[in-house]
Amino acid sequence: MHYFVPHRFAIAATALCGLLTVWSSLTLPYIMRLVIEDLENETLTPERLWRRIGLFIAVGTVAIIFSRLIRKIPLKLSHMIEYELRNDLFEHLTRLDQSFYRRERTGDLMTKLSSDINIIRDAIGQGLLQGSRTLIALISAAVVMLMTDRQLTEIIFSIFAPMSLIFFLVLRFLRRHQLALQEHVSEVSNYCHETFSGIRCLKGFALERRRNSDFEALNSELIRKTMRMQRSRQLLWPFVDFCFSVGTILTFIVGGKRIIEGTLTIGTLMQFIQYLAFLRWPLLALSFVTSMVQRGKVSWIRVKDILDTQPEIAEPNAEALPSEKPKASIRFRNVDVEIGGQRLLKEINLDIPMGTTLGITGPTGSGKTLMTSLVARLLDPTRGEVLLDGKDLRTLPLRALRGMIGYAAQEPVLFSRTLEHNIGFGIDDPDMGTIGWAADIAHLHGDIETFPDRYQTILGERGVTLSGGQRQRTSISRAIARRPDILILDDVLSAVDTQTEAAIMKKLQPVMAERTTLFVSHRVSTLRYSDEIVVIENGRITQHGTHEELIQVPGYYAELNTMQQLQEKLEADE
Amino acid sequence: MKIAKRLLAYALPHWRGLLFSLALILSMTLLVNGLPLILQRMTDDCLVEGTVSAAERIRKLSFLGLIYLSFAALGHLIRYIQSLLTAWIGQKIIYDLRLDIFRKVLRLHQGFFDKTAVGTLMSRATSDIERLQHFVTEAVVGSIADLAMLFGIMGYMIYMSPLLSISIFATLPILFTAMVYINARLRNANRDIRDRQSRINALVQEDLTGMTTIQLFNREAQAQEEFVQRNQDLRSAYFDEVRWFSLYFPTVEIGQTLSILITLAVGGFAILNGSTSITLGTFIAFLAYVQSFFHPLGSLSDKAGSFQVALASTERVFALLDTEEKIPEPESPVSPERIAGTIAFNNVWFAYNDENWVIKDLSFSVEPGQVLAVVGATGAGKSTIINLIGRFYDIQRGSITIDGVDIRQFAKNELRSRLGYVFQDPFIFTASIADNIGLNTPGVSRDDIICAARTVNAHGFIEATPNGYDTILNERGAGLSLGQKQLLVMARALAQNPELLFVLDEATASVDTATEMLIQDALGKLMTNRTSIVIAHRLSTIRNADRILVMRHGQLVEQGTHNELMANDGYYHQLYELLLHSPECD
Repeated sequence: MHYFVPHRFAIAATALCGLLTVWSSLTLPYIMRLVIEDLENETLTPERLWRRIGLFIAVGTVAIIFSRLIRKIPLKLSHMIEYELRNDLFEHLTRLDQSFYRRERTGDLMTKLSSDINIIRDAIGQGLLQGSRTLIALISAAVVMLMTDRQLTEIIFSIFAPMSLIFFLVLRFLRRHQLALQEHVSEVSNYCHETFSGIRCLKGFALERRRNSDFEALNSELIRKTMRMQRSRQLLWPFVDFCFSVGTILTFIVGGKRIIEGTLTIGTLMQFIQYLAFLRWPLLALSFVTSMVQRGKVSWIRVKDILDTQPEIAEPNAEALPSEKPKASIRFRNVDVEIGGQRLLKEINLDIPMGTTLGITGPTGSGKTLMTSLVARLLDPTRGEVLLDGKDLRTLPLRALRGMIGYAAQEPVLFSRTLEHNIGFGIDDPDMGTIGWAADIAHLHGDIETFPDRYQTILGERGVTLSGGQRQRTSISRAIARRPDILILDDVLSAVDTQTEAAIMKKLQPVMAERTTLFVSHRVSTLRYSDEIVVIENGRITQHGTHEELIQVPGYYAELNTMQQLQEKLEADE
Repeated sequence: MKIAKRLLAYALPHWRGLLFSLALILSMTLLVNGLPLILQRMTDDCLVEGTVSAAERIRKLSFLGLIYLSFAALGHLIRYIQSLLTAWIGQKIIYDLRLDIFRKVLRLHQGFFDKTAVGTLMSRATSDIERLQHFVTEAVVGSIADLAMLFGIMGYMIYMSPLLSISIFATLPILFTAMVYINARLRNANRDIRDRQSRINALVQEDLTGMTTIQLFNREAQAQEEFVQRNQDLRSAYFDEVRWFSLYFPTVEIGQTLSILITLAVGGFAILNGSTSITLGTFIAFLAYVQSFFHPLGSLSDKAGSFQVALASTERVFALLDTEEKIPEPESPVSPERIAGTIAFNNVWFAYNDENWVIKDLSFSVEPGQVLAVVGATGAGKSTIINLIGRFYDIQRGSITIDGVDIRQFAKNELRSRLGYVFQDPFIFTASIADNIGLNTPGVSRDDIICAARTVNAHGFIEATPNGYDTILNERGAGLSLGQKQLLVMARALAQNPELLFVLDEATASVDTATEMLIQDALGKLMTNRTSIVIAHRLSTIRNADRILVMRHGQLVEQGTHNELMANDGYYHQLYELLLHSPECD
């Protein structure tokens, strides 16, 4: 745990504050005893009383000041560690690749970043605070008490030792009930969720009554489970307070007898009663701290798990780096991709010379997006290699490779920021000139002009919700704003109507012509602009040629062409 | 005030319990706070040397000790019972409220659900209710208990020594103000923490979903920078919390130390001045009181601010309960023995909102036992038709009749129990496969379920699951393919044996050919001998229908059999050609 090293002084300070506050707190009852003994023996004089009061104020002040510090220092420290740990975890998450994100659910990762880290923080903060204070308090109090009176000490510890044990047991019992209750609560909330989201189906089958009575049963069970939990929870403090009363009265009776016999003073008795109150919390804190540290350990393991995950898309060794920028010619050589035992791309061999446009089409799920992902190294081929300028992509630094690429996905992720931010997302120094240019190419500028805040419009829930087509066009703008050497457009016009599509293609044409472009589409009307077209079916290239060549041969492409002509006719009639 | 009254209405049925709880609180206060009084007696009568003999004093010491012990035992026992009772009443109140919410939601119309996110409803039914429960049991009853405790202690103190009590109480206003102030700051800090935590969560949520985009555009460093910024904000809110938290307990300690100091000083000087009303026993008792005095004080200052939060939750809950139910039940519903199955639309107009008509002046009828297929482009209003018959929405003009009776004259439950729906997005409940088919409908036996599953070709894959018909499916049916879920939903519709059937039949790209064949076959069997309306996309379903309704922009453009319509060479002909060539379908 290298996180603790920079904070070693704070940890030492915590222990020091613990010593000071505990010792001064233990001194206060002694001063009280002196006053009471003076009263007993009738030796009290005003100046003696003043002296005691002065002493009491001084020691009390020390106790209170350090009582604050022993809270402040370790808690602050725990938040500092929390902060560092959370930063590290996030930084690590930005390095992990797609295969990791396919595996992990966002919700789980969110939990690790928030509640797991919070639990670790509490374990550290409360662990240090309560741990140090409890240990110091128990040991010091035991020593002071033994020095003052042995018999009374024995009485107090013989009551509080079993009390702590029972408290600990009830606490464990309580935790079990709490867990059961929690499970039931989430069952109830799942039931609600299912009911609310399946409301149509429920109503369609007129299931409301059955659903209501099921819920009633769940709800009654909720009461039962809550009450079971409450039975142990509400027991804790009355039990502790009762033990405390027993301790007080035993001390009083045993001590009282000795006072009557003349072997003990009332002042000493009083001092012990005060210690009893003082010891109450440290004894109980022990059980809290142990469970908190345990929970912290479990969370730490979960967080550590992620920190130990290495990205599969690895950076190449430093020596192998090429010195100059590679040319944007791409080549697939015998590429196979297997995910989860399934062969999703099979023996892909393809040449995309610099400056040409390759159209890619095929049925849904045939592997088109996988091909574009390979070029951007979102994943590596299982077999074979993808070459850029004749060199395996895996020998290029990721930053350099991705710096050359402008990628627009079919279902783009936009961020809840301004449009300006989203379009200029991939540029280091975004300027309005480039952003406006990119928006214009994607036929987005006109739409933006209609928004009240234009380029400063915030996207998402708190701002403007874009239509599917607008989202896609924003994503195109974002990709071309980088003026990339390689442009990848993955079915980016699927949600755009035919007229807009034509307008976009007209402006996009020259931009595509200047670069190496991979263009995935389902529409013949856009594919026809490509220099070459490949059809992928079931992970294999089944057709390859120009638009003119492919419409001549029977197959997927020709069929697509006929269908779309029919559709155009139908739309023309509308 | 109105809200408080409504909330009170939920508490009213439990007034006996609440009254009893109050009585328990009072007796507990008297017993527990009487303990230091006994200590005082023991000190003054037994410990201090007096005229009585040592043996007598020891006897009295043990006797008072026994009383002390029984007071303590009884007091804490009552305290335990009282807290359980209060918790139970709180649970009962929340039980009623939660049930009311649930029932209310089930009564609301479909239009409400179109506009309200499931998440919003969830937070009403869970977190708002929990906050309310917390408020009722902890804040209201808790405050009463704290006040009783506080006044109990103060009463005993004044009884014992007015002088000492008043000197101690003089410090209270300042201390209590300080505690309320610190608590308010703590609540502020906690609110900041929650806000900033949720700002971080929002960022992380977005970044995690968009991580590929971030990586593709080399924006990792910027993302980290933003994260660090928000993380810093969060940390500073936490530091703020630590600052006030670390002041809270020391403030309580100041109060306690100060009270002890006052007891010693004022008591000491009073004795020095020859006062006889303050004894050693008074000292002992007061030292015990100031120990227990600050606990209720602290918890009161803590509760001062929780009222607002609870109020907001209560308002939201009651607002939901007050939502208008837009599909009214008829005053005297009709309930025919059997439905022959003639469905008729008579000049129906419908809009989801305002005047954006989705259905315009639609008239058609289906004869008993007929299968009617509705075709048309997306957005033509096809699926709206079947939603209207089940009264998920009510039409604005015209009428829809079943066997000549307006559907608004049936009780909703009655109406819907005669209809069967097969939606395109199959909804699976968390339950066994058998229950998902039978829906626990009375009269549907295991044999019926198996028979239904066999008919729609679902029996095969059901038998292949680990526990057959008893396999528990989790929400949304994870583990089943989409095709299998569709078959299951068809078995469900069949097992319910509805008199009228509505199918939303969307051919799905992700269903493999073999399953697709099974689904088509099942659809055919499902509609045999049953008045059915099918929103059709599969060619086979369309061809096999008795009649076809061609919709366009909410209007009926053509109707007839497949052959008639094809001969017509109209809109239908073109639609059919398109479906024929679509590589994603059929």
